[in-house]
Amino acid sequence: MTSTQTSSSSGPVLQCTGLTKTYGDHVAVDGLDLEVHRGEIFGILGANGAGKTTSVECAQGLRRPDRGSIRVLGLDPQADRTRLRGRVGSQLQQANLPDRLKVREAIRLFADSADQARRAMADWELDAIAGTPFAGLSGGQRQRLFLALALLNDPEIVFLDELTQGLDPSARSEVWALIEQVRDRGTTVVLVTHFMNEAEALCDRVAVMRHGRLIDLDTPAGLIDRHGDGVRMRFRPVAVDMGWLRQVPGVRSALVDRGEIEVSGRPPMIAHVGAELVARNQVPDDIRVWQPSLEDALVSLLAA
Amino acid sequence: MTTALASRTVAPHEAADTPRRSPWPQIARLYLTELRLFAREPQSLVFVFGFPIITVLVLGGVFGTATDDSGFEFVNPQHFYTAAYYGVVLCAIATIMLPVHLAGYRERGVLRRFDTSGFPRWAVPASLMASGATFAVLGFAALTTTAALAFGLPAVESPVRMAAGLVLGTLAFVSLGVAIGSIMPTARAAQGLGLMMFFPMFLLAGGGPPPEALSGTMRSIADWLPLTHVIRATQEPWLGLGDGSDHLAIVTGVLVVSTAFWLWRTAHISRAV
Repeated sequence: MTSTQTSSSSGPVLQCTGLTKTYGDHVAVDGLDLEVHRGEIFGILGANGAGKTTSVECAQGLRRPDRGSIRVLGLDPQADRTRLRGRVGSQLQQANLPDRLKVREAIRLFADSADQARRAMADWELDAIAGTPFAGLSGGQRQRLFLALALLNDPEIVFLDELTQGLDPSARSEVWALIEQVRDRGTTVVLVTHFMNEAEALCDRVAVMRHGRLIDLDTPAGLIDRHGDGVRMRFRPVAVDMGWLRQVPGVRSALVDRGEIEVSGRPPMIAHVGAELVARNQVPDDIRVWQPSLEDALVSLLAA
Repeated sequence: MTTALASRTVAPHEAADTPRRSPWPQIARLYLTELRLFAREPQSLVFVFGFPIITVLVLGGVFGTATDDSGFEFVNPQHFYTAAYYGVVLCAIATIMLPVHLAGYRERGVLRRFDTSGFPRWAVPASLMASGATFAVLGFAALTTTAALAFGLPAVESPVRMAAGLVLGTLAFVSLGVAIGSIMPTARAAQGLGLMMFFPMFLLAGGGPPPEALSGTMRSIADWLPLTHVIRATQEPWLGLGDGSDHLAIVTGVLVVSTAFWLWRTAHISRAV
């Protein structure tokens, strides 16, 4: 993951204020407040039914919020659809193409010009499958085509909803690389996913939703730090008495487990314990360190 | 995959000042795309081209050329059916081709994709109407050529009224097809309803048995079918059986109601659903 490329001076690219959407008695999105800044990959995470897709569908003007406001590039996605055309790219869940539409025809249909279509075909390496009908594409080829379509008109912000669902790990990592390239050329990416490793690998900031509400928003590292169960170190004892470990800054516990010492605590503990081991000339040769992943942190957060 | 994307060259504030772009080039591309897609659908080709041509040849062969049959209003039965089958081409477009296509788009999320790609919401129905009308013209041409070679074409008694019947009938039925497609949840449902509508309409409205062979009840039902009026609006001025004005008025009503309906649906129904 590269560092956040937020430009505070340009204002939020996407701003939701008190966004609420209900379907009958079911509240799909409940007072959502968030801002997405220019140039970042912003993840929206949550279990199925958390309100992620409804939120981005409101942002794309596909659904009208019941309450609250939503601004994309400072415009209302419902009222200013025409002005937003070409400035917003989308890859929606369950939005396919006609089975008999060929790849080159799809690109030409959505591109502004023949030249733009040619460039997209080359950029996204679609020439080899130009004459293949949509129904004949593999899952990875379809997602590549969808990404090409979403980014055809050089949008300022692109919404990618469950883009890598159904892809094998190899195809998924290829798509991740493409998403990073998209951000690197200055496009803001809003990535809706329920793959936590995807959010951790790609996102500069992540919003976590549950039951339509925003329950936390931070960088992946911040979320891990706040909701992860801390770090753990394990090694075989190199001295009879290692009780001093409990006094090291950041250490929460130091226990003997299956003949090994397990030290738990906050991340800075790793440096302190390491330094103390060196200072005492008690350096074990089998130190292993575990850090919680975003998935560990969010499982803990969502279960709370 | 070694894709490397070009850097953005449009500064954010420059893009923000971009004026509204005309949707017409996009809509023209959509129309051409729809033509290609329809041309690749065997079902559309069979019902719009194959069925009317084969059936008119069979019926023309069965009923011959005698002009003394009151069942055919004392005109050559081959000419009677030729004039009627322009309506059958339109019926296939309105009940099968357009509804199945549009319902398939809804079912597969294609409409959502168009919506988020900046196409105006009326663009898909409008391009389907235009491509449906284009296929109608091609179907008319195929039917005319076949009938001319097989039976010879009758003289047109009232060309202006006949042209009005064909044009309004085409517009009314492509609009009706889009209206039906706008309420069908899936392509399979649209196909089922379409077939259920197509065959009774075709048989009762003038494409099947001679009108005089129908019972009174059947003829009463036929009076309520839009296809009856589309056929008569063309057939009467062509063969000199009447001026077709009443039928033309009903066809115009079908056009107005159908168009108002799909415009309303397009404006009020969320594409996200």
